[in-house]
Amino acid sequence: MKFYLKLGLILLAFCIVATALLAYVNSITKPKIAAIKIKEAELAREELIPNSAFEEVTVKTGKDSIVYYVARDKATKELKGYTFTAAKIGYSSNVKTMAAMDKDFRILGIKVVEQAETPGLGANCTDSTFTKKFRGLTPDQLMVDKDGGKIQSMTGATITTRAVTNSLREQIALVKKDVEAKLAALPAQEVTP
Amino acid sequence: MSFMKELTKGLIKENPTFVIVLGMCPTLATSTSVNNAIGMGMAATFVLVCSNIMISLIKNVTPDKIRIPVYVVVIAAFVSIVDMMMAAYVPDLHKSLGLFIPLIVVNCIILGRAEAYANKNNVLNSLADGIGMGAGFTLALTVVATFREILGNGTWAGLRIMPQTYDPMLMALLAPGAFITLGTLMATINLLKEKK
Repeated sequence: MKFYLKLGLILLAFCIVATALLAYVNSITKPKIAAIKIKEAELAREELIPNSAFEEVTVKTGKDSIVYYVARDKATKELKGYTFTAAKIGYSSNVKTMAAMDKDFRILGIKVVEQAETPGLGANCTDSTFTKKFRGLTPDQLMVDKDGGKIQSMTGATITTRAVTNSLREQIALVKKDVEAKLAALPAQEVTP
Repeated sequence: MSFMKELTKGLIKENPTFVIVLGMCPTLATSTSVNNAIGMGMAATFVLVCSNIMISLIKNVTPDKIRIPVYVVVIAAFVSIVDMMMAAYVPDLHKSLGLFIPLIVVNCIILGRAEAYANKNNVLNSLADGIGMGAGFTLALTVVATFREILGNGTWAGLRIMPQTYDPMLMALLAPGAFITLGTLMATINLLKEKK
């Protein structure tokens, strides 16, 4: 009995040391990682709609809330479009995509910002050969070809393709609804200045 | 065995993938392109060297009966620390290698070498073993990936090898292609060994 207790305690000691180390490393790296992520998001937005000032909009939809950014030209303040981040579970990870669309909700460009899909197959979704397929599409065309849409799925990675495509379509619908609701609520002279 | 011998045995004679047949899961998953193979190989080598040193250091304080859970704790904690450190201080490297880090935890070469070598040998030899085995793993992955990438995509490390008219053999990139390539390579190595 004593012997097994000793074994358990030794294992416990190892676990405590490992946990303490992990907690310590996490506490010093977490703010740094968060800062890098924010910077990356800013760079990605800038890449998708260049020369713009972004204004963050947060909308509460029931329990969840959606966040999107309104892009206006830095000089003329003209409305250029919207950017947002959409996410859905792919084959082996949560696939996060940042997308930009113009004011008529046509896709200007997308960028897969976070994924851990199968290297060589699903992970190819970060390639420009894949992301450029989305350019210029309307929300109705945003479907994988097997489901009747315009996006040709990647070889051996239909699930990843679907995750990207469907998450974008659903997120666009949410953003569009909010934008249209806000436009309708505006007094007429502000819409056409 | 001498230090040099420990260092080189992993390349061919005791190659972890082709001869010891360890770490099949990451081999199959990441050998779709040469770039992935080298990335995975390098990340695994790094973790392997460090875990071998750690295991060798604590081998005298670990009771035999619970050595495996202790190794798992040590390796998992270690990999997580590497992952967080890389994400915070070398984000660019983390972007290309970060994908493979969760795969390393389940890479049985790490645990296999801890169990078969590092817990019986001193720190210096364990270091050599880690480097050698890591290099062997990288080499094996690169060889498998060379065949799969050229056949399945017509490129090598992103460079176009086959003419534009080449119709890629997609199967080479999917799981069956991995098994066939690996099996053929193992058979070739066994054939060469028997001939000696």
